[in-house]
Amino acid sequence: MKGFEVDLTRLRGGIFHFRRQKEDLRLGGIESEGDEKMDVWRLPISASLRGKLISAGYTSVTSLSSVSSANLAQDLNISNSEALNVLKVASHSGGSECLNENPSIINGAQNAWDLLHEEESLTHITTSCADLDGILGGGIHCKEVTEIGGVPGIGKTQLGIQLAVNVQIPHEFGGLGGKAIYIDTEGSFMVERALQIADACIEDMSEYNRFLRKDCQPCQMKMEPKDILEKIFYFRICSYTEQIALINYLDKFIAEHKDVKVVVVDSVTFHFRQDFEDMALRTRVLSEMALKLMKLAKKFSLAVVLLNQVTMKHAEGSFQLTLALGDSWSHSCTNRVILYWKGDERHAYIDKSPSLRSASAPYSVTTRGIRNSASSHKRIKMM
Amino acid sequence: MHQPWLNGMELLEDALRNKNFLTSGLEEMDMFLHGGFRVGQLTELVGPSSSGKTQVCLQVASNVARKYNGTVVYLDTGNSFSPQRIAQILGQSSDPANSQVKYQNLQNIMRNILCHSVFDIFGLFDVLHQLQFQLKLQNGKGDCHGRLLIVDSVSSLITPVLGGSGSLGRALMVAVGFLLKKLAHEHNLAVLVTNHTVAGEGGICKPALGESWKSIPHVRLLLYHERGSNICKISILKHPSMASGKAARFVMLPDSEHKGEPGMKRTV
Repeated sequence: MKGFEVDLTRLRGGIFHFRRQKEDLRLGGIESEGDEKMDVWRLPISASLRGKLISAGYTSVTSLSSVSSANLAQDLNISNSEALNVLKVASHSGGSECLNENPSIINGAQNAWDLLHEEESLTHITTSCADLDGILGGGIHCKEVTEIGGVPGIGKTQLGIQLAVNVQIPHEFGGLGGKAIYIDTEGSFMVERALQIADACIEDMSEYNRFLRKDCQPCQMKMEPKDILEKIFYFRICSYTEQIALINYLDKFIAEHKDVKVVVVDSVTFHFRQDFEDMALRTRVLSEMALKLMKLAKKFSLAVVLLNQVTMKHAEGSFQLTLALGDSWSHSCTNRVILYWKGDERHAYIDKSPSLRSASAPYSVTTRGIRNSASSHKRIKMM
Repeated sequence: MHQPWLNGMELLEDALRNKNFLTSGLEEMDMFLHGGFRVGQLTELVGPSSSGKTQVCLQVASNVARKYNGTVVYLDTGNSFSPQRIAQILGQSSDPANSQVKYQNLQNIMRNILCHSVFDIFGLFDVLHQLQFQLKLQNGKGDCHGRLLIVDSVSSLITPVLGGSGSLGRALMVAVGFLLKKLAHEHNLAVLVTNHTVAGEGGICKPALGESWKSIPHVRLLLYHERGSNICKISILKHPSMASGKAARFVMLPDSEHKGEPGMKRTV
């Protein structure tokens, strides 16, 4: 594997806060065993009784629900009181679920009310452009996969680098204090540029510090550009096989680095547009990869940002610009943002989102990174 | 256990008693579908990306939870279940009551909607089997209010296993289809799944998952959202009691707080 990982110094341990991780919502009860057929195994009764039940054909708890204790005693050749006891245990194991204060018919499912509060407590990753944050509902959302596409030179990579830096803004400044994974398939990540953006980000933070915390004890500005670069894990990918392998490996990697809060793939498209001949295979491989990324986003509560290229599509008698990788792929993101030129100004447009309305906003790419368009370069949105 | 034979009268009785319609809360759409989504049936929403499939799912989920006080199970494969959007939909249509009552109501309704993430087809089987078992346990208790199962989207789970030389993928797909229909029929659930589109001959969009899947859903509805406008077209691809090809146009308003109206409106 040619891809390598830049992790220059072992990172100082940061305690990772699982924001309101609600393990307690996983209401107990029946295990997530798919097959209910043999669930008498789980009844807290003696092994010999269990054996008798199964050999008499009572393999599921439900099969015990309609049998009388006398019949059961006869079938199993046991005493009536023993049979009664078995039925009591069986009805208890089935019924306990419904007696629960908050009944859940599926293990691990969460109700919309709890999810709403969980969602409200999540911090978004700012793009450093207040207008863009505005239409995105505060920035890039964690637990979701956001696809960003646009023509070459529009600033996709710039936005990717900006997010890899901004994810590290500490909690005191309204950020996530996380780390970033940057998966580079095209070789377009420029470390000098990342340094520049990191510098500007720190400058903005200290300015914000001076401005807002004059009276309070000044918050220590310990961050240096070096620290920011150290917290970007960079993978260089040279073929689609490597890309698939890496995404399969990410689960393990992130489990070991739990404060990773953003995964940027720049671009998700490149190798899949070069080497593939069997398009049906490509669709399968891509859709599986998409589900894995979805799973990562949900499981580790992180933001996945996929940068995509554009292509021409012939539809309704005219050619229009759409994102690459085809129709099936277009379903594999939660949100989609299209970057485009409007005159000589850059704009972003929300093309797809379950919760945001479609809207567009101007932004610009400056030496300091992504910023508001035109006049308001200095403004950075922190909260 | 062998299912008892049913004669026509018994079937009719079952249909009249249990197989009612669940409305979506979108007046125009319910009218178009002669009452909404039917319990006991598998309804499929087909449409290209960002055509409003998830919006319709969220809308129906909200309405079933509110109007019927029913349980909604939402299986999400694309992290696109948005509780915020649900709160928004419920907020728009609830009566202007005092805020404490409203809050309590919202809380109760939203607690009826259960969401579970599923990221592969085997996970889907797990959840469905579990659901089947739980429903069997509950069946005796007779609390038979409107219940809805949503899989958004079923196609993204099936696509990775479908195709190639083996037929295992197809077998899994058909097994999922039949399990969903079985749940719908035996436990009086309305089942709503979404499917995406692929480019067919001549660049015309057609539903994904191919011919084998085509016969599985009872109802197939095609959604189409015109780019750059709010207009959303819905048409019938397959329906047991309606002619296919029938279509209606709606206005899709992803965020209609300013209008004070439900998320969709019919255009002239």
